[in-house]
Amino acid sequence: MAKLKKFFRYENVGMLFVLPAFLYMLAFVGYPIVHNIILSFQDVNAGNLVKGTRNFILFDNYLELFQDSVFTTSLWNTLRFTVSCLVFQFIVGFALALFFSRKFTLAKPVRGILLVPWMIPITVTALMFKLLFATDIGIINFLLRSLHLIDTNIEWLTTPGTAMFALICANVWIGIPFNMILISTGLTTIPKELYESASIDGAGKVQTFWRITLPLLKPTIESVLILGFIYTFKVYDLVYVMTSGGPVNSTHMLSTYSYKLSFEMFKYSKGSAVANVLLAILLFVGVFYIKATTEGEEE
Amino acid sequence: MGEEKNLSTKKNILFCVLAVVLLCILLFPLYWALITSLKTEQEIFQNPPTFYPHILNTKSYAAQVETGDFNMFRSFANSFLISMGATLIAVLLAVPASYGIAKYHFKARKVLLLSFLVTQMLPVSVLLTPMFIMFKNMHVYNTWVAAVLADATIGIPFSVLILKNYFASIPKDLEEAAYLDGCNKFTAFVRILIPIAKPGVMVCAIFSFLYAWGDLAYGMTFILDQEKRPITAGIFNFMGQYGTKWSYLTAFAVVTIIPVALIFIFMQKYIVSGMTSGAVKG
Amino acid sequence: MKKRKLTALLTALAMTAGILSGCGAKGGESAPAGKAPAAEDAQKEAKEEGGETASAGETQEITIWYYWENEGHQATLDQLIQEYNGSQKQYAVTAKYVPFADFKKQLSIGASADELPDIAILDSPDHASYVDMGIFEDLTGKFDVSNYYEGTVNSCTVDGKLYGVPFGANCLALYYNEDMLTAANSSVPTTWDELMETAKALTTDSVSGIAFCSVQNEEGTFNFAPWLWSTGATSYDINNENGIRALTFIQSLINEGVMSKECINWTQGDVMNQFIAGNVAMMVNGPWQIPTMQSEAPDLNWKVTLIPKDAAYASVLGGENYAVVGGGNVDGALDFLTYATSEEKVKFMMNQFGYISADKTIAETQFAQDSPYYPFVEELNYAMPRGPLAEWPSVSDAISLAFNQVITGTAAPEDAAAQAQATIDGIVK
Repeated sequence: MAKLKKFFRYENVGMLFVLPAFLYMLAFVGYPIVHNIILSFQDVNAGNLVKGTRNFILFDNYLELFQDSVFTTSLWNTLRFTVSCLVFQFIVGFALALFFSRKFTLAKPVRGILLVPWMIPITVTALMFKLLFATDIGIINFLLRSLHLIDTNIEWLTTPGTAMFALICANVWIGIPFNMILISTGLTTIPKELYESASIDGAGKVQTFWRITLPLLKPTIESVLILGFIYTFKVYDLVYVMTSGGPVNSTHMLSTYSYKLSFEMFKYSKGSAVANVLLAILLFVGVFYIKATTEGEEE
Repeated sequence: MGEEKNLSTKKNILFCVLAVVLLCILLFPLYWALITSLKTEQEIFQNPPTFYPHILNTKSYAAQVETGDFNMFRSFANSFLISMGATLIAVLLAVPASYGIAKYHFKARKVLLLSFLVTQMLPVSVLLTPMFIMFKNMHVYNTWVAAVLADATIGIPFSVLILKNYFASIPKDLEEAAYLDGCNKFTAFVRILIPIAKPGVMVCAIFSFLYAWGDLAYGMTFILDQEKRPITAGIFNFMGQYGTKWSYLTAFAVVTIIPVALIFIFMQKYIVSGMTSGAVKG
Repeated sequence: MKKRKLTALLTALAMTAGILSGCGAKGGESAPAGKAPAAEDAQKEAKEEGGETASAGETQEITIWYYWENEGHQATLDQLIQEYNGSQKQYAVTAKYVPFADFKKQLSIGASADELPDIAILDSPDHASYVDMGIFEDLTGKFDVSNYYEGTVNSCTVDGKLYGVPFGANCLALYYNEDMLTAANSSVPTTWDELMETAKALTTDSVSGIAFCSVQNEEGTFNFAPWLWSTGATSYDINNENGIRALTFIQSLINEGVMSKECINWTQGDVMNQFIAGNVAMMVNGPWQIPTMQSEAPDLNWKVTLIPKDAAYASVLGGENYAVVGGGNVDGALDFLTYATSEEKVKFMMNQFGYISADKTIAETQFAQDSPYYPFVEELNYAMPRGPLAEWPSVSDAISLAFNQVITGTAAPEDAAAQAQATIDGIVK
């Protein structure tokens, strides 16, 4: 009884607030995660998917992956894609958030309209960028030609290096409003008095930014970056529509490769193994994030 | 911030011009989609490209309304219902959860927070089969309910992570004051904390809605009847093995954006003020 | 203080309950949607009992999955189904559209969850994989396919057993823009050398001589196969003089500037759009484009001919097969298929689709000599199927990587061929 009483200590009550959401997620995503881990240790393909003659082959799928050049390319692609996207969309998004926090007439309406890229289903955005980056009819090549920056059309989506660039551009375009709006809302949590007292103390704008804005925004920034990292890391629709992993597998990501293995080549277990590698990396980043944020809070 | 005072007229104009320039650059892809949708296929392939449609072609829009089994208005209604349902679940569950995580320092906090993140770490492709089996057993396969339940799994963790910062930034004495006024935990949460966190709740609702709105994989996999599918499914009528027509595709893009954009513009007053003016008075 | 804890606890509980009941209410509200699974269950039961109580007079539901996004195709299938449903009372057929890009996924997931249609209309090269999955019914002896093109029957035959009925056939041939050809004073090419010559003559600043879909997937492999097979190479034996010659020819089309590299991003539909926009003078494509071309560009002068040859004429067989899913309502599925494969219905379907009947006797009289479809019937004599092989998707993947490497210049034909061969040898032992 004492134990039970101790369990219902004040702080533990908070858990009850969290419980419904937690149980919901556990029910709908918990089972898939377990299912997927088991699948990755088996040898399921078209031949035994229904017949039920699955064998446990433990780490064979994973070992095979690390000898698969498409897998290693995908891994490296996913990392550089994520980091490039995060850097650009965060910087631009942050700058825009600061800009629109000034009180000028058009600040609010324009910021509202800038959300539009976020309303478009990603598959549609991908198609739009495919059109923009097309070699012959693409507007980007036309603009570059008009500005005399290039003589011949760049084959954006059919050359390995530039295809990745095009993907990053498209994803940054989607990511800017995401970063901007979350940081904008974060800015509203900073008490205005702090800025007032800072200006009384004679702090310049740059100083105020580094001493007040940035430290107080830290939790928001951390959340934005971690969420951005996770969502960018599992990018799928965009790549699938714009390049399908091509040309010659140069833009395959872990998610697209996993899909291809599972649903185009019927190698379900191998596809699961790729997904789990993705999960493992994100888990590592997630643990790091939790550590960083909770340390800050316990001051 | 000095910005609290209104800017000088000169600065105001300068900033407005700058904002409009930024808007034009960032939204250029949308303009391009819009004019492409109004061009004929021949004009789209013209070199040099035209910056406005020389021959107005609205055929692509007529095709949007009904193509085969695809009916735009019905699909739009489906998408709207699914997104609203997912948003409702996400907000109802995420608001208390983020409050619990932000304001109570119980031991399992870190684990819970991490587990919310973990649910977002698998690519959709590997979630489909197990979710499908679950929905089939729950007898919601091939209904909106399946898509609503699945889409909410994107909105919840997102909202928890964003909202916990809001609740954390609300000073404790505000809550204490509420208790002195005779509030209990629950009424304090509902009457004091939620209103203060309104911008956050608003943003989470919007993002949850948009995640569900943009979803294609769940809607396609868990709903098989074309008449129950979300609007994003329409893309397959214009993109597939046997043809990509830019005018049709871009018209589809415009059609999917316009209703949502209208809702946002119509509700702009509430959304924008919700997002930015609920600031904490510290 | 204690009281506060208690209220906190209670409110949290109350909220949890509220949320849960909220969810429950939601389920209740969506009753109209919730009806569907219940109805499906009823059908299921009917299906299960179907075998014994078929004479009970109750209508049984038969579901078909298909992937045609083409409106005309959908309407035609719909018409066939309406006619069938009107012709008898025992079965009611409904067709569900599953997009091509999602088809393999949906069948895979459906197989895992035991939620499959009674009939699937699927892409012929994938047929063997699903047979390997064990989800299709053995139809040996139930349909007379002796008059069908051998390739179409082979695509649904595994180990001598028939696991499907060919729906219809198509193949690839060469389309050319007649006006451009006349203007350039060129003749219709029949060999690779002539093709190169003609393509060069037709190429201008804004027009590419030739185009065919080279996307790195099954669609691309489909379009590459005629070139590969024309040399005498097979899909499983590429790393030899013939295979390398095919890859080298594609490379020279790119290097000479007569074909755009963009082809690796163009679906067959995109290629057709480029052709009718006048950006491409010749294209390799299938007969199903003809209805669209006629309505979109009625003034364009184009003709179809055999794909130019290297050693021998070659083309690739495309099209769909009907398959009956085991464990579903097999009797009903067979009844519908018997109806749908009757000569009269096949003729109607094929003409509406722009397909060629898989039944030779029908195909030979299907089109007049001057019909744009006629060259496809001729080309069909040279058309071979892909596979049939359960691991075809993996073989196809290796082949499509090889020609993509060559087109993008990331590997020489010799290296690409060697790499593809290594992969294929690992699959086909």
